[in-house]
Amino acid sequence: MLSTRFIGWLRRYEKWFGIAAVILMVIGLYTGLVTSSADYYQGEVVRIMYVHVPFAQTAMFAYSTLFFCSIWYLWKRDPIVDNAAHAAAGIALFFTAGGLLTGSIWGKPTWNTWWTWDPRLTSFAILFLTLVGYLMLRTFLDDKEKRATFGAILAIIGFIDLPIVHFSVEWWRSLHQPLSVSTRGVSIAADMALPLSLMSIGFTLLFTYMLMVRTQMLYLEYLLEAKQGRLMSEERL
Amino acid sequence: MQFFSVIRWIAWKDLLSEYRNRENISSMFFFAINVILIFSFSFSLDPETIKEIMPGIIWVAFGFTAIIGLGKSFLVEVNNDCMEYFQMLPIPKGAIYLGKFLGNFLFMLSVEIVLFPLFVLFFNLDILDQFLKLLLISTVATIGLSALGTLFSALTVQIRAREVMFPILLLPLSVPIFIGAVEATRGILSGDAFALYRHWIELLVVFDVIFVVVSFWIFEFILDY
Repeated sequence: MLSTRFIGWLRRYEKWFGIAAVILMVIGLYTGLVTSSADYYQGEVVRIMYVHVPFAQTAMFAYSTLFFCSIWYLWKRDPIVDNAAHAAAGIALFFTAGGLLTGSIWGKPTWNTWWTWDPRLTSFAILFLTLVGYLMLRTFLDDKEKRATFGAILAIIGFIDLPIVHFSVEWWRSLHQPLSVSTRGVSIAADMALPLSLMSIGFTLLFTYMLMVRTQMLYLEYLLEAKQGRLMSEERL
Repeated sequence: MQFFSVIRWIAWKDLLSEYRNRENISSMFFFAINVILIFSFSFSLDPETIKEIMPGIIWVAFGFTAIIGLGKSFLVEVNNDCMEYFQMLPIPKGAIYLGKFLGNFLFMLSVEIVLFPLFVLFFNLDILDQFLKLLLISTVATIGLSALGTLFSALTVQIRAREVMFPILLLPLSVPIFIGAVEATRGILSGDAFALYRHWIELLVVFDVIFVVVSFWIFEFILDY
């Protein structure tokens, strides 16, 4: 089992990820909000990009983590991997909600609407619903191994579905109206690229930190539950 | 060869028990009629609007029918303690999935075929000469819907709040099916050339292939417990 060695490693190194995330995000926010220039077309509004894009990227990264943990769990049946998957799902939900929310706020001044059925927005909404379904499914299952296995199956199916959803919505919208925004071929100014990449790395580190803390917590809960079960069965004997 | 005979027998058993008690198909059918009835009150029925909203009505009705019909697919196996026997079968467990999938697909398709004339009747549609194309779209969309539905039915059958969880899992993931089916049906109803909506059918076929294969492979893990 990987678990015992891994949990010590998590406990020892988690704080460095947290510290690095805070430092990068503080620098990123300062350069993004203060020193970088405003956009030629969008003006000051563009600065929400430094939060929105990292939110969305990290949500995708978190869901990929959930996917790989799920495959790993089905393969090796290691409980801590399931704890990591569970943790990743919760955090992915948080970042997806953040991405949708900031996207909506950005959409109001630039596209003049809070919501549009843009492929990316729609696939993020479906990602959000899938993650909610994943977490709900887990709460309804009592057996630990069944919870882990069924969750992993759902996560894998959802991950495979996501690109198909994206392409189908892209086709669907392109028949009705042109895409509201497309970043393809848009190059980005150097003083914008710096805060954006700082924030992206900072968010990724923040996600890693959250994942490490939450995985430990879920693993301890798992151990506690197992211990309680043992004690109860001893009492009955 | 045992593999194929398991698929055949499971599908056959489902069809036979359905033929004898007619619970599933009749509930799906009358539920769909209710949905159609409610829709006909909800929208104005002048011919231009009908053409615009009809594909949506058809596929919402079929989608709800799928939720009613497919959600209970594995319930009968659990109630009769058949899951343990499935686990003991000395063949790849995907065969059981394919058998259940085949049965569900045939239920769904037969309900849809019976419902099409009712759409013609209630909404004055002129689709009888396009029937074969509609059948093609129904077939490819229903394959995808039954593939996901059968898998999620096995996933949710043993949990609390089964009736709630099944649609919550199924509907977001079947978005591509609904988009593809609605757009292709709209193409047919407005009399477009086949080439204009062929890509939707291709999308549905890709979806079908991916999810039948993935579900076939992943079903092994569901039956482990």
